[in-house]
Amino acid sequence: MSDDELVYERVFHAPRELVWRCLTQPTELAHFWGPRGIVTPVDGIVVELRPGGRFETLMVGPHGSYRMVATFTEVVPPERLAWVEPSTGMHTVSTLDERGGGRTAVVITQRHVPEAMRRPEARAGFLTSLDKLDEHLHLLMQGDRS
Amino acid sequence: MEVTVDEQQLDALFTALSDRTRRDIIVRLSAGDATVKELAERYAMSMQAVSQHLHVLERSGLISRGRHRQTRPCRLEPGMLKLAVSWIEASRRTWTERMDRLETHLARLQEGGER
Repeated sequence: MSDDELVYERVFHAPRELVWRCLTQPTELAHFWGPRGIVTPVDGIVVELRPGGRFETLMVGPHGSYRMVATFTEVVPPERLAWVEPSTGMHTVSTLDERGGGRTAVVITQRHVPEAMRRPEARAGFLTSLDKLDEHLHLLMQGDRS
Repeated sequence: MEVTVDEQQLDALFTALSDRTRRDIIVRLSAGDATVKELAERYAMSMQAVSQHLHVLERSGLISRGRHRQTRPCRLEPGMLKLAVSWIEASRRTWTERMDRLETHLARLQEGGER
């Protein structure tokens, strides 16, 4: 795992076809796509399941809403799904692997690399300075400049 | 998700933060406001070059400029910076909670027959 990647893995007690369905059908996505406290109404979800097709979700929370606009880059049922969010260049790849006993391992790899930050030194610098900035921020927030 | 994040805003934010000099300007401003002249001296850059960086930072919402006609001191806007810093953490949390909910949903689908 490099600095600019986030990887999430989870083994689900469900067959791969069913997991795939959940990840690709709006009626299923509406059940779980939003994190806690966030709803994703089914009519706000667009899935055009082919490379180049649209993938959009509207997440509505108590303090605001966020519209994810993405384009599928890979659609290989039922094992691989990838999309890119053009505004940030963030690339998300999901792989579904069959495990024994009707289980399915899902690995989400997220490269959140905006176009302007493709160069390795920019990426490393970005993450390092975010750490530093975080420290500065904590000081600032505690200070009197709020 | 406490702030409504416009994707263009996020894009402007990350573009602003993708340059080393601009990141350094932010760190500098976190110690206190500064004028273009003061920043130009620090970086051995022309006022014009610094102004261009400041323009990008201002457009992203990371800094604001004072009204004083001559100096227009630059000030850090901690709210936007906090948004950028928290973004990676927010992404992590989003996926963790999403997986939790998918797990629950899959269990429900399988135990009750597929509704």
